[in-house]
Amino acid sequence: MKKALVTLKDVSKAFIGVQALSKINLTINGGEILCLVGENGSGKSTLVKIITGVHRPDEGEIIFGEKSYPFLTPRTAIAEGVEVIYQDLSLFPHMTVAENIAISRNMYNKKKFVDWREVRQVAQEQLDKIGVELDLEARVGELSIGNQQITAICRALALDAKILFMDEPTTALTKKEVARLLEIVQGLREKGMAVVFISHKLDEVMEVADRITILRDGKKVGDFKSTELDEDAIVRHMTGRDVTYSKYRRESADDTVLLEVRNLTKKGQYEGISFQVRKGDILGLAGLLGAGRRELALSLFGLNPPDSGEIYFEGKPVTIDSPAAAKALGIGFLPEDRYTQGLFLNKDVTQNISSTVLDELSGFAKVVDQKAEERLADESIETLKIRTSSRRTVIKTLSGGNQQKAVIGKWMAIQPKLLILNSPTVGIDVGAKSEIYERIQDYARGGMGLIYISDEINQIVNNCNRVLVMANGRGVAMLEGEELASPDVERQIEELISKDI
Amino acid sequence: MKFRRLDKRIFFLLGIIVVYSTIVGLKNPYFLSIQTVFDTIRSSSEAALVALGLLVIMIAGNIDISFPAIALFGGYVTVVIMIATGIDNLFFAFALSTLFGVVLGLFNGFLVHSLKIPALIITLGTQYLFHGIMTTFIGSATYGAGVMPKSILSFSAKQLFQIKLQYGTTGLTYFVIPVVIAIAVTWFILYRTMLGRGIFAMGNSEEAARRVGFNPLVIRLFVYGYMGALAGMMGIIHLASVNAVYPNALIGTEMMVIAAVVLGGASFSGGRGTILGALLGVIIINLMNNTLIFLGLSSSWNNFCVGALMVISVVITSYQERLENRRKLLFTD
Repeated sequence: MKKALVTLKDVSKAFIGVQALSKINLTINGGEILCLVGENGSGKSTLVKIITGVHRPDEGEIIFGEKSYPFLTPRTAIAEGVEVIYQDLSLFPHMTVAENIAISRNMYNKKKFVDWREVRQVAQEQLDKIGVELDLEARVGELSIGNQQITAICRALALDAKILFMDEPTTALTKKEVARLLEIVQGLREKGMAVVFISHKLDEVMEVADRITILRDGKKVGDFKSTELDEDAIVRHMTGRDVTYSKYRRESADDTVLLEVRNLTKKGQYEGISFQVRKGDILGLAGLLGAGRRELALSLFGLNPPDSGEIYFEGKPVTIDSPAAAKALGIGFLPEDRYTQGLFLNKDVTQNISSTVLDELSGFAKVVDQKAEERLADESIETLKIRTSSRRTVIKTLSGGNQQKAVIGKWMAIQPKLLILNSPTVGIDVGAKSEIYERIQDYARGGMGLIYISDEINQIVNNCNRVLVMANGRGVAMLEGEELASPDVERQIEELISKDI
Repeated sequence: MKFRRLDKRIFFLLGIIVVYSTIVGLKNPYFLSIQTVFDTIRSSSEAALVALGLLVIMIAGNIDISFPAIALFGGYVTVVIMIATGIDNLFFAFALSTLFGVVLGLFNGFLVHSLKIPALIITLGTQYLFHGIMTTFIGSATYGAGVMPKSILSFSAKQLFQIKLQYGTTGLTYFVIPVVIAIAVTWFILYRTMLGRGIFAMGNSEEAARRVGFNPLVIRLFVYGYMGALAGMMGIIHLASVNAVYPNALIGTEMMVIAAVVLGGASFSGGRGTILGALLGVIIINLMNNTLIFLGLSSSWNNFCVGALMVISVVITSYQERLENRRKLLFTD
């Protein structure tokens, strides 16, 4: 029989008028992997912050074994064995693996001095627990993300964690690393720990989960056995409605080739890549992290010059050696990390949208015409359904989905002929996701060509009329038409992308 | 194993010292003498003290440019009080000046923490503020050797030991005592206490440091207070070495110290830096300042050489980082 490690009873929490959580009942058992899913704002993070002692609930109780608490402090939470690994991992990049692992435990024990031998010993013990070898003296910043995550897990283990929360643990990992992570997590489960994945991505994590708890608008929708739900059902529970993604079909009669790539090669990244993008095409690039998709996309936008091969744009051979050159041709690029590469976080919505066309918007003496700028912004807000309190709202205060729409708006402002989208829906609500897909398909219907990179194979199949499957830097298959309509296509692509691993 | 961790930077700095000394030594054999070593140590003492303080602040991810004003304030006010009260004791001088330094440093730390304005701007302001308070409310007279407390004057002349040379003798200045103590204390704090690890942690990521339980306010107050203490001590050494108090002394020397610490491998973004690096940075800059003359170069070459060295080292570092980022396909430029 599984033992309840923690039970929440009727826990509620409100922030200035907003009911973040209402009457939540939840039990987390030892020896189980739980998935906590919900859209942004569903109360997932508030719930975690209550269990970790960051927030005090307004009502309800938190029960650990025999003890009941009206609220926790971070210290009592740690004492009860609660640990969180945040998405950013909260590691110290210039410090060693050993120190990163031991530092929380030293702080918790209120150590005043450092005993380096003990630090290394503590670190080694944790690594032994999960059976992984890492160089204790290596700087964490030099490790792969997967190994950084292992360091973070060891840090939690050093504090004798019983309940381990992991926030979006797989986003930045390669397939191999995900497999290793899941193996480690399953090992922890064997040892009687509880692991709670917090996610709004419906992915491989679900496969190992014993139970799925879904939150919506601060209320618990229910606990489900992972075997009784499919993705559609989860989405329905998360959003409270049926979200259907319409399948893209190319109807254009105009077969003009916009972009043609022949034998494009960049040593160590991708090799011998050839494809065409016609007007109205949405070309999907499927593959694993490291398959060369991102590197290829960067090359097409002038950021990662290829070693050899030819690029033709509208039939003419071109060299794209800078983003400016790409933009001049009419190529837009939505990068995977909107925070550091897609947005000016501290600027407002209008300034972000107009940033690609400042030259066009400025008249005499290069002064930007504010009226025209605002008209452009209003248009984008309207057509892309960007939910913002005003056009002058600072962009970092918007939700991820609305930020991403602004990035799309920014590129639409140049009226691109070709738009490259790298993972446009990462970290975005299901609702906003479907709106973004709709827009993308509209653009294609209007004659634009698009290249769409995503890790979600079902979305690639849904949104693309051609799919280039890449593995280890090579194009291993080009699927279109009938092939993409086959019900078996997702599994087929899964197999293709894992070739030679 | 241990040496693997010894930064490339340290070898770079040692290399510079060796190459430079060889060149100067070839040109002028008098350079390669114990006298030069002792002179360099003496002239580096002041900067070494505040460089240690600045290193600690920069590791925590902050910056301070008000320390010369703090040093001057501590030294000047101490001398005024000593003259007024007739107390003529070196320990009293150090204690009092250090105390002033700590108070002003804590004030800096408090402002930096609570105002959330870049520390550069705040300490630029407090530099003028501290100096202004001193010249307006305490005094702006110059005190020459005639009125300076005897204990401070004699501190300057004392030598730990002497060596007979062909012509006369040379010796190691007493100034190294506070410097060696400061090195030991700084090393102990940074590498043997959790407070020190918190300083590194905060420079790596303030949010992550907060999450594992460090208190950023305590750490900021400490690093600025510590800097203040070292600046206060430096104030007394400075008075001793020039045998006088000028109300405008030291102001403007902060950039040289910052240059030394950055040359030594500390980063403006925090989390990095070594004591040895900072000290070597100070030594290189002082060595050049004092010995370019051996090459027959006028003192106007000082700035040129220090500047060139600094630019080269920064360019090398950032170029390496850029190559690394390029490799990871991060586009930061």
